[in-house]
Amino acid sequence: MDITNILFSGVGGQGILTSSRVLALAAVHAGLDVKMSEVHGMAQRGGNVDTHVRIGKEVPSSLIPAGGAHFLVSFEKLEALRYMAYLRSDGIAYVCPLEIPPLTQNLKKDSGYLKGIDGILEEKAPRVIWVDAPAMARELGDLRMVNVILLGALSKRLPMTEEDWEAAIRERFPAKVQEACIRAFRMGVDHVASNH
Amino acid sequence: MRKLMLGNEAVARGAWEACVAFGSGYPGTPSTEILEALAEYEEVAVQWAPNEKVGYEVAMGVSLSGHRALVTMKHVGLNVAADPFFSSSYMGVNGGLVVVSADDPGMASSQDEQDNRFLAKAAKVLMVEPCDPEESRWMAREAFALSEGFDSPVLLRMTTRVCHQTGVVNPQEREAWSPKGYLKDIPKNVLLPSHSKARRFKVEERLVRARELSEASDRWNPILPGSADIGIVTSGVSFGYVREAMPEASILKLGMTHPLPIERIRLFASRVKRLVVIEELEPYMETEIRNAGIEVTGRELLPFTGELNLPLVEKALLGAPRHKVTVDLGGVQMPTRPPTLCPGCSHRGMFTLFRDMKLRVMGDIGCYTLGALKPLAAMDACMCMGASVGMAEGLEKFGGPKEKGKTIGVIGDSTFFHSGIPGLIDMIVNRSAATLVILDNRWTAMTGGQPHPGTGKDIRGNDAPQLNVAQVCRALGVQRVREVDPFDLEATRKALEEELAAPEVSVVVAVAPCILGARLKKGEAVQIAIEECDRCGACIRVGCMGIHEKDGFPDVDPDLCTGCCVCAQVCEKGAISLPGAGRA
Repeated sequence: MDITNILFSGVGGQGILTSSRVLALAAVHAGLDVKMSEVHGMAQRGGNVDTHVRIGKEVPSSLIPAGGAHFLVSFEKLEALRYMAYLRSDGIAYVCPLEIPPLTQNLKKDSGYLKGIDGILEEKAPRVIWVDAPAMARELGDLRMVNVILLGALSKRLPMTEEDWEAAIRERFPAKVQEACIRAFRMGVDHVASNH
Repeated sequence: MRKLMLGNEAVARGAWEACVAFGSGYPGTPSTEILEALAEYEEVAVQWAPNEKVGYEVAMGVSLSGHRALVTMKHVGLNVAADPFFSSSYMGVNGGLVVVSADDPGMASSQDEQDNRFLAKAAKVLMVEPCDPEESRWMAREAFALSEGFDSPVLLRMTTRVCHQTGVVNPQEREAWSPKGYLKDIPKNVLLPSHSKARRFKVEERLVRARELSEASDRWNPILPGSADIGIVTSGVSFGYVREAMPEASILKLGMTHPLPIERIRLFASRVKRLVVIEELEPYMETEIRNAGIEVTGRELLPFTGELNLPLVEKALLGAPRHKVTVDLGGVQMPTRPPTLCPGCSHRGMFTLFRDMKLRVMGDIGCYTLGALKPLAAMDACMCMGASVGMAEGLEKFGGPKEKGKTIGVIGDSTFFHSGIPGLIDMIVNRSAATLVILDNRWTAMTGGQPHPGTGKDIRGNDAPQLNVAQVCRALGVQRVREVDPFDLEATRKALEEELAAPEVSVVVAVAPCILGARLKKGEAVQIAIEECDRCGACIRVGCMGIHEKDGFPDVDPDLCTGCCVCAQVCEKGAISLPGAGRA
């Protein structure tokens, strides 16, 4: 079965669910089958969250097997590392260089964020593409654009056309932010085109 | 038409297509979105009930009126509604009655992992189980006709990965169906023992007829032909894993899992060399099949707890997962990231006080259960909806002098309305001296902000009658009821000390809106005068995402901090303050 697996990860409240929904909608526009698994409830309150999106001609189940993800899109560095084992040996991790310290720390020095995480990520991942979506979103004046920027960065490696993506964005977002979302999406496309 | 839908949205769609007139239930992950999605269809009357039992009983009344009704709940919610669920099986229905039980294998958001397929069997009602959103739609739709055809409530059993799976659905038009009209039938609907004895035979006759359908139906229980080497019996979400792990296998996919089609299974087994059952949680189907004298394996190939996934099913069927894990994270000390109370949450100050006052806290179900996690760690027990009240009464009475004046029950407002009130009545009439703290944030917050009797809104956001928690407690007969502002730590501490010392039952209501539910504008972040900080760590120990360690000192994240000032109030040096304001 020819299925492309995309895993999104991050911290509850970062907009991971929105990203995965837009991707799934784009796949529907492209005439593909899609199954997606989401996280609701307790885990959303500041805990780590992941959503699984699987697209292809026929997709029987919604969970990506460990070692089976073609792409990992992570909104936060620690959450990129946590889900890294989902990646295939030829997989690619798209990672926001963002650090959200978990609450399992105290005031002892060095108890907080995992030190040297950039190096660990580069070493462990088959391939990392850094996408500073928060910086780009700030440039656009709207931090909520992080999710569409990341989708733009990923989009060229997926079997959907720019029209499919635009249609998905228009379906998911209210009219007043659609144009801004599409601009942000293209920013993500251009970022990868010029850097990788 | 192809449309992307969540499994829960698809259930609502299917119910709407079947002309359901009414939907009720109580929020509970993973079931909550069904009623919210149903409320999008203006033809349907949709309402949240204070608890699952009440929701079920209202739905039963709607059924008696001749209309179709849907009632939704999570698996443990069906425990609350078990009384009407079991008894309605004897009454049967007039208009179709479909009950959704959303089970939570793996306990993603629940206190237990019970397998409610056994409840369908115990209550002797029909049960259907969808595997994906499209099946969720058509099974929900067809379940109403089944309910009427077999004069039985139908259990639509979902699981987390079916409820929260998004996929492509083919929505259909609304069917032509008209309500039947009320039918007075005393022997059927009044469950006096003499009537029930007669109904008992009807229940058994129903199961015989339902088994005939289950045995004969290629729609509900299709056989997908394949290799004769192995035959797999499966249902619900497990079907997708089986299909993907072993596309060549013969599969008997059961959509109707009570009554089970034992003769169909026997026939299927006779055509294959080896019969395997792949099912999540308990060996419900496997035990029935083995009891029928059919040789079968399954349970010993799978873990007894948690949800299934593709690698587990591949391991069971093929000996090893197909995908190899190549990324090695050995040697990395990965910090965990448990869920936490939101920055600005009105519960944080309360649990900081409970911890610092060294109270015995009998907790309850809601966001505030997170008060049990470090660094707050201010909860001693939490069992099920409403249990804080009774457990506090029992512990205070028998805990000895150490617990006297130290024991509190802590319950949210939605949980109080759900099942806390009878516990408080028990406290009053049985002369408890315990203190009940009610966290009144005006929302059912953990499940995503649903209104409840204290909110003053209905499911569609329209104004609704509003109950006041303190007034309810006074009306019940509690003499000592007081309201506090949970963001004022000093006044709240004083109130708690006074009420704990009182030799009678008392209630402290902490009133402040849920920061998510109220959609408050984020306040300005606090600032820290680092030169005054003695690094005691008290501010970090309130457990807030908005304040964390940086180079050995506390540091505020201005994007997250809401300026609630709980951290400022625990700082003995007065080093934390709002910009422009004096020191806290």
